[in-house]
Amino acid sequence: MHILLPALVFLPMLGALISYLIGRKSKPGRNAFVCVLLTAECLLAVLGIYQAILGRELTFTWEGFAGLGLHFRLDGFRALYTLVAAFMWMMTGFFSPQYFAHYHNRNRYYFFTLMTLGATAGVFLSDDLYTTFIFFEIMSFTSYTWVAHEETPGAMRAAETYLGIAVVGGMVTLMGLFMLWHKLGSLAFADLQKAGETLDAKELYLPGALVMFGFAAKAGMFPLHIWLPKAHPVAPAPASALLSGVLTKAGIFGVLVTSCNLFLHNGAWGNVVLALGVATMFGGALLAMFSVDLKRTLACSSMSQIGFILVGVGMQCLLGHHNALAVQGTLLHMVNHSLIKLCLFMAAGAVYMNLHKLDLNDIRGFGRNKIVLHIAFLMGALGISGVPLWNGYISKSLLHESILEYVELLHEQGLSAAWYSATEWIFVITGGMTFSYMLKLYFALFWEKNAARQEEFDGMRKGYLRPLSIFALLGAALILPALGMLPSILMTGIAELGQGFMHGESPAHAVAYFSEENLIGAAKSLVIGAALYLGVIRPFLMEKREGARVYVNRWPAWLDLENIFIRSDFTQKYVCGCITAVSRFLDNLATSKFFYVIVPAIITAVTRCLDELMDSVAVLLSGTVLSKKKTPHLPPVGTRVTYYLGCALNAVARFLNRTVLRRHPLHTDFEYRLDVDKHEAGQTLGMLTRSVSFGLLLMSVGLFITCWYLLK
Amino acid sequence: MILIALTLLAPLLGGLLLPLLRFRSRKARAWYVEAVTLLTSALAAALCFTHPTEELHIIRIMTPFELVLRVDGLSRVFTGLIAFFWPLATLYAFEYMAHENRENAFFAYYTLSYAATLGISMAANLFSLYVFYECLTLATLPLVSHKRDVRSIHAGRRYLFYSLSGAALAFVGVMVLSRFGAGLDFVLGGKLNGLASRNLTLLRVVFVLSFVGFSVKAAMFPLYAWLPMASVAPTPVTALLHAVAVVNAGAYACMRLVYYCYGADFLRGTWAQGIVLCLAAFTIVFGSAMAVREQHFKRRLAYSTVSNLSYILLGVTLMTPAGMTGAMTHMVSHGLMKITLFYCAGAVLVKTGQEYVQDLRGFGKVMPFTFAVFTLASLALIGVPPLSGFLSKWNLLTAAAETGAWYGTVGIAALIVSAILTAIYLMSVVISAYFRPLNPELASLGEANHDPTWRMKVPFVVICCAIVAMGLNGAAVTAWLSDIANGLI
Repeated sequence: MHILLPALVFLPMLGALISYLIGRKSKPGRNAFVCVLLTAECLLAVLGIYQAILGRELTFTWEGFAGLGLHFRLDGFRALYTLVAAFMWMMTGFFSPQYFAHYHNRNRYYFFTLMTLGATAGVFLSDDLYTTFIFFEIMSFTSYTWVAHEETPGAMRAAETYLGIAVVGGMVTLMGLFMLWHKLGSLAFADLQKAGETLDAKELYLPGALVMFGFAAKAGMFPLHIWLPKAHPVAPAPASALLSGVLTKAGIFGVLVTSCNLFLHNGAWGNVVLALGVATMFGGALLAMFSVDLKRTLACSSMSQIGFILVGVGMQCLLGHHNALAVQGTLLHMVNHSLIKLCLFMAAGAVYMNLHKLDLNDIRGFGRNKIVLHIAFLMGALGISGVPLWNGYISKSLLHESILEYVELLHEQGLSAAWYSATEWIFVITGGMTFSYMLKLYFALFWEKNAARQEEFDGMRKGYLRPLSIFALLGAALILPALGMLPSILMTGIAELGQGFMHGESPAHAVAYFSEENLIGAAKSLVIGAALYLGVIRPFLMEKREGARVYVNRWPAWLDLENIFIRSDFTQKYVCGCITAVSRFLDNLATSKFFYVIVPAIITAVTRCLDELMDSVAVLLSGTVLSKKKTPHLPPVGTRVTYYLGCALNAVARFLNRTVLRRHPLHTDFEYRLDVDKHEAGQTLGMLTRSVSFGLLLMSVGLFITCWYLLK
Repeated sequence: MILIALTLLAPLLGGLLLPLLRFRSRKARAWYVEAVTLLTSALAAALCFTHPTEELHIIRIMTPFELVLRVDGLSRVFTGLIAFFWPLATLYAFEYMAHENRENAFFAYYTLSYAATLGISMAANLFSLYVFYECLTLATLPLVSHKRDVRSIHAGRRYLFYSLSGAALAFVGVMVLSRFGAGLDFVLGGKLNGLASRNLTLLRVVFVLSFVGFSVKAAMFPLYAWLPMASVAPTPVTALLHAVAVVNAGAYACMRLVYYCYGADFLRGTWAQGIVLCLAAFTIVFGSAMAVREQHFKRRLAYSTVSNLSYILLGVTLMTPAGMTGAMTHMVSHGLMKITLFYCAGAVLVKTGQEYVQDLRGFGKVMPFTFAVFTLASLALIGVPPLSGFLSKWNLLTAAAETGAWYGTVGIAALIVSAILTAIYLMSVVISAYFRPLNPELASLGEANHDPTWRMKVPFVVICCAIVAMGLNGAAVTAWLSDIANGLI
């Protein structure tokens, strides 16, 4: 039990409320409060990672919370990712005051941003899937407000898709969770791993896939990525950075939990994740190359980088006990991508808050002679392209190595490795595509001249960034080369900290990051990238209009998966139409004359028929078959009283017959008569008691008629 | 024993006296009604905590048909639930009813329904339950038709028609059980006598009939249509009666019928269970789909009630202790969430006169407090953890999965589909309230805050706290309810 863990989660949530209340009185006060709070959170996270470096594992349990209880644990990986999240929030927090200077609804933004921070910390600290899911759902809903923040039609549409995917994903995950819980009786990560070892994997594929669905949707895995290229660009830039940098990683966290616990060293699962990862990686890069919008390019690039991470996850499962490189590569690429996207999206934010435009043709040339922006963007671009000495190179090399390792492993066993060699090539080519679209952005922003507004842009050299924003931008940018240039100190340290979570083995020997093989791999990518830029982007994705070369969007609009599958006419008209028609029919049915007139009429007719039938059968039988037959008639048996009374009456009658009634004697046998009467009386009484039910029914009918009369 | 009698008599006498008293002002009547309700709730709360074991015999008509009241575990849940809601609802009603007339009659029937609902919750045998069930129909009818215009009278007539025919079906069940059961008393696990084993088909047919009969009040398909229509009633009625008291009374009666009369073991796995479970599962999806289609705010919530009541019935028809736990959890949490949603709809109606969902664009700024509450309750109803709705859905899902049979899968599928539809029909309101501009025709509303006064806000705050608290203390709540379902309390 350690107070640090709940503090990391609930401090921002509490701060959200306070910031909202302060914000209603004073805007600068709120901004200051938010910055201080985020710094405090970051310091707490540093404290957490300090504990992790010392090798202590902290846990916190809140029994009975929402049913199954909350379970937090702070190990190396969790401490690391909490720190990354807190750091990114802090940096975007420093950047926000300037960015949002002219925005409306800032209170709402800060409130939900802080709530999301708490929820994200909750996801990363969770020790069972139930806790993960709780905070994951909170995070999905609170981050909705980011996407919808601008409230333009485009933003609302993107937000709708975002929420739709989040809700559906959440439900599917819940279903998977619940199947797992039913099978295993526990959702703790440790128990998942045990189950993966002991149970038959076939039983776990369905629940595992369902659980992964929701998380993969948040991570932006193909084909659940449709929301990502729409939602990330429309959010305000600081929020885009967080969406791309951290929230996708929360999705990856869920993928890791399933892949590294439930399906640890499971090759079949690894192949599926690998295939999806390759599709995501390549598809994202392709979309990014075609995009002509600064933030959309970055968003598609995020999708592509998530694909790289998924490739790493798939390789971990495939490599089994040799997974050291894959684990380190995955982990480092997650961290690198978060930090790089922080830097790039803030740079994009710096452009947007000055120009309120994102189209490459409108913003080209804005970055000329703006040194801070130039440095920040360049660092990010070099990092993400995998240029040696920047951080992206390290993690991409490790991932690349892990694929090569598996290919070799297969060759040693004498198996065909064609698929994995192809994967390796796609990996290298996608690396090249990354470089090419970053070149496109970089040249457009910083070297080409804007035909219409270049002088105006040059005039904005001073004051386009406030000091606090400069601090945030440069702080985020300069980490990247620092990490890339001192890999054996920083990167190895980070990797060792986090590999326990993914059950990674330690590498057999220290990794040589700058080995000849790795440098050649990087060089291949860079050459391919440069060739793509010169050979594809410049000739085919630009055209001459009115004497100037402009960027054109050649991506066919009909290729939008969302439009094909979800928002197509087919779905809207036929599927929704059918559902509406059926439900309307049923509704009308229940309220229609059918139920009021026809059904009662039919019931009445049937019951009457049955009634008549019984009667007529009885009449018929008594008239025909049963008429002749004398049923053996048992004389009713009376009691002692009727016997004596009857005997007495008979005596009286005999006496009377002899005396008074000599002319008309009585022939009744009173003993018999009394017996019969007594029997009949008994029957009548029984009938009366039995018909109380009838009376009650009559009463309710009477009440009904009375009320109807009163109300009419 | 005296406590049970007092609990029932307080609202009964209080309600009957109301038309005879002459109040000098609205305020005086408000205090009188609130005092009666609070007194009753205090007595009911005392009952729940002490839960005396002795029974109160009111009248014996003949051998099995006796009016007996008793407080057992399930009664404690339902009694506690309504005792919690009634004073809050009454408080809310004072402000709401200011714009309606004939308040004397309204509050008289309102208090009488309290007595009838308490009677249902404390009934110790099926006959008593049936009698109070009919009383509830009659006591709530004038409330539905309170406005006395064509629509409300039509709605009232339909309500009566449905309820009485349902009760007639249920009556068949009472009669059959009086013959095949060892008495009509409620015993967990049921007790059928030796004759039952020779008349299985008859008993199952009658079970389906009486289940459908009782579930009319819980608005199960196909006899649900009275509920959306009844949303013409004043909001305190739709909120309290048509989201909590009346509809839950229907679900409660079904629970009694399944677990305390026939016994879950007798029915589990038979075609009779299949029929009622499929009806419930269908209603879940159907109600949500209709709610998505409906544009009238209160009717949309009414359809949502149709769907959610069938969540409870689904739990009931799973016929396991876990299913019953889930049903009870959802009974409590749905009550909390739905009454809040209806209150918000009512507040919007009273303060701005808007009835349709598309007119609520931008209302997040017009009524910030109301819509904050609405958002919380919506999220809870969708089942976002850690609010109470998630807890109940989780319990239901677990129960459905534990059965391991085909009908469990049907239930799970219905719950998941409905959860998605719930998100659509509630979030669309929330989103348009916060992220869309105000309707230009209603621009004059945007100038001031239209939130209601403290009388409406107090119920909001109290119930919201309850929603959060129930979610956070999920394990304790589940454990207590599951003890009840297993007969330990």
